[in-house]
Amino acid sequence: MLIMVNMQIETVLGNKLRIKILKILSKIRELNVTEIARRLGANHKTTMKHLKILENEGILQHKRFGRIRLYRFNENSVKAKAIQTLLETWENAENIR
Amino acid sequence: MVPAYRSVFKDEAKLDITYVPSRLPHREAEMRLLREFFSFMLSTPEKMAQRVLIVGDVGTGKTALSQRFGADIVQQAKQQGLNLHYIHVNCRQYRGSLFFILHHAVSVFHPNFPKRGFSAEELLNIFLQILDEQNAHVILTLDEFENLIEKEGSEPVYKLTRLQETRLNKPQRISLICILKNVKAVESLDPSTRSTLQSNIIRLEKYSKEQLVDIISDRVQLAFKPLAVSEDTISLIAELAHSEGGNARFAIELLWRAGKYADAEDLGAVTPECVRKAVSSIYAITRKSDLASLSLHEKLFLLGMARFFKENDRAYASITEVEQAYAVVCEEFGVEPHTHTQLWKYLQVLSALGIIEKSVSSTGQRGRTTLICLPGIPAHELERELAMLLEKESG
Repeated sequence: MLIMVNMQIETVLGNKLRIKILKILSKIRELNVTEIARRLGANHKTTMKHLKILENEGILQHKRFGRIRLYRFNENSVKAKAIQTLLETWENAENIR
Repeated sequence: MVPAYRSVFKDEAKLDITYVPSRLPHREAEMRLLREFFSFMLSTPEKMAQRVLIVGDVGTGKTALSQRFGADIVQQAKQQGLNLHYIHVNCRQYRGSLFFILHHAVSVFHPNFPKRGFSAEELLNIFLQILDEQNAHVILTLDEFENLIEKEGSEPVYKLTRLQETRLNKPQRISLICILKNVKAVESLDPSTRSTLQSNIIRLEKYSKEQLVDIISDRVQLAFKPLAVSEDTISLIAELAHSEGGNARFAIELLWRAGKYADAEDLGAVTPECVRKAVSSIYAITRKSDLASLSLHEKLFLLGMARFFKENDRAYASITEVEQAYAVVCEEFGVEPHTHTQLWKYLQVLSALGIIEKSVSSTGQRGRTTLICLPGIPAHELERELAMLLEKESG
């Protein structure tokens, strides 16, 4: 069952798959659920569960086109911006090393 | 010390097939017409959707005209705060499939939109949904439109044009420009689809030699260093492109290749011989069997011409000049030269075979004189080939 109240940062970011989702969307910008699941190596149900948690926290948002749901970072969320900055900074630092 | 590399080019990218110049010489009237057809886009884009056919042969500027128009109108719309997009799709590149074409259009707004899971019709609805949400309008150009008709028939065009009409009280979102070589392709569509397309047709005529000279001169200015390409070279390229059906694309490709030959030989300028080399690399106009079938004096006459062009860095020779060169060749081979009237007949034969091209000069000379040009083969190659054949005959 989904926890609908705001979660602590350690809970939200304390999951490998959620971090992976954030990394994917930070690079690709926008992606549908099936493709996110494929890149995660997870099934559709698990992927959806994590996407909903991230959306509930206001970090992600989605747009629906018929059966297709495209997920991306929430443009109006301060949390989303902070996570994107963290991921980009991390990536750049890794590249320099 | 390695000598400094000197190129004839200033900006080679200006000769790329994808480059669209800011000015399209000799297409001003067609551009005005296109702007007129779409003028509503800058005032009341939601009120109507336009469909225009651009028809013309290869290299008549169809794609360039449409892309230049697209870039200009989008910029104008932006200045007026309108959300207008110009999307240019080559139907052949997308295998004539409406689904792939629409997927490309959707990708402009959502670059990673999935490629599976829906039909072309669903994708069209999604496209309209995106445009509604963003209050955007699109001019969708379907280049090489024949491919779409061939693959999918009337259905896709009908969907593209009629689906919007069924959206009652909703703004119009998609206008179409269909580019094709021959309007006959549209005749295979069903009558109702045809009627939505055939009302606005812009026909692009083949470029004349003079028009090609202007087009090439424009590109020379953009792509080459000053004085790197002479008027003679430009005229030769124009002549060749004119004989290729007034094909400006061919002219520009030839110009680029000739520049490459000039650079390869470190000439510092693009000579007519570079053009001849370039054209022979594109296709061999002069077949060896054609040369072998010529009579002895036709061969000698042609050898004289080849030597003239090899020694004089010019694109054209007068009939007097090639007659003189022929007389020297005859002396070398110990045969009596034929008369002027006879040579005139040889000229017709060589011209009919496409080995030479002749035109009548009307400017810069006293009276009128026949000018001869060697379009399809480098002079030195022609000389070598003829010398070999003549040696075989005498031996």
